[in-house]
Amino acid sequence: MRLLLNVNGMEHELDVRPTARLIDVLRLQLGLTGVKEGCSEGECGACTVIVDDKAVDSCLVLAVQARGKKVLTVEGLADDDGLDLLQRMFIEHGAVQCGFCTPGMLMSAKALLMADPHPTEEAIRLALAGNLCRCTGYTTIVAAVRSASEQPAESSSTPPALDGAGRDV
Amino acid sequence: MPNAELLTPGGIQELTAALQRATPSSRLLAGGTDLIRSMHQDHWEPDLLIDLSGVRELDYVTLEDGMLGVGSMTTFAELEADPLVRRHARCLAEAAAQVGSAQIRNVATVGGNIANASPCADTVTALVALGADVRTIDGGGAIATRPLTEITVGSGRTSLAPDEAITEVSFAALGADHRTTFAKIGSRSTVTVARLSMALVVKLDVAAGTVSGVRVALGAVGEAAFRDARLEELLEGRPANAESARLFAEGCTDAVQRAIPGRYSLPYKQHAVVGLAYDAWNALGLCERCEPAWG
Repeated sequence: MRLLLNVNGMEHELDVRPTARLIDVLRLQLGLTGVKEGCSEGECGACTVIVDDKAVDSCLVLAVQARGKKVLTVEGLADDDGLDLLQRMFIEHGAVQCGFCTPGMLMSAKALLMADPHPTEEAIRLALAGNLCRCTGYTTIVAAVRSASEQPAESSSTPPALDGAGRDV
Repeated sequence: MPNAELLTPGGIQELTAALQRATPSSRLLAGGTDLIRSMHQDHWEPDLLIDLSGVRELDYVTLEDGMLGVGSMTTFAELEADPLVRRHARCLAEAAAQVGSAQIRNVATVGGNIANASPCADTVTALVALGADVRTIDGGGAIATRPLTEITVGSGRTSLAPDEAITEVSFAALGADHRTTFAKIGSRSTVTVARLSMALVVKLDVAAGTVSGVRVALGAVGEAAFRDARLEELLEGRPANAESARLFAEGCTDAVQRAIPGRYSLPYKQHAVVGLAYDAWNALGLCERCEPAWG
């Protein structure tokens, strides 16, 4: 079927299988291999992309569900001025080991900072709870996100998240 | 593998037209976090897939005449953040906040949680405690409402007809005199499937220091979330104190024993529910924090 998809600011007209997952279309039809496939069941978050400002596991949505929406992958983070602040902080903090989880981590963190530019450390950890790093580099990853969040920006009207015990964070 | 035909209705009228073509092998696609994983990993496709993401009028939370209405396509992230849900159905906001990861909560919906009929569906446990009704529409355009517990009839089984779609869940909004919470036990602290879950609603009489209107739902115990009348009666009119917490925990153990006699998980769950009961009781803030006397 025919699908119009906006990815990283560009409109694509694609012929897709009706049940093609978003990750399949991004990787196989658009060549955006920064989107990584790890577990294929929403546990690892390596395939995280941003759809209309929200982090989403691209292995758990169909490409057609993203019609009319704006998809952002790790390839769209950098612009002509260079790497995104988050990417620079990941480098500065050495928050990358094997690198497989990095695109997903970046996109989850980006979605968090888009909604809440100055999150608490607990909010950062909650936002990254759906991203697994098997090199166990979480400490540096959280530090990188925190550094990026310490840049001045407007406050957000997003209500605080609830933690695992139902408390505001 | 046969290729599913995909329909993408853009509103309720187009949805009913699509539902007319549904067969027992067809599926409705809400958030898709369970269905798409299943199709991909188990290598199957339905004959017809009806994507609900274009039916935007099913994504809302309203408060009218004391009733809270939640559209079936409302996501867990929306439920967690919604001021009306937080104020009038806190246990539902807490349950939604504990489903999966941020990525999953951004797309998974309350209607999908019900229709998927997993025994450990967190929002279903909360909705059972809230006494929710479910409204549906079918291919003929007929609208029907029935209790949630009549929809989730077993593990992975619902009473929904192939051409029937959930449009709304509704329940009486809780007032300021109510306290409510949701608690669960999983294999880890976040992004976890409930091994045991509980939603608790009580009305607090501040002057008398007693509780009434107690509603307790247990999830991941047996095939579907349920309420236990004997457990609820136990607390009716009781003082909001540590002794009532002990009675409540004991009552929960009895309720679990009644629900899953002889089940392999019973020895674990009848004890685990004591800790869960105390967690829930303490979260209500009715009295000073109390702890179970293990042993």
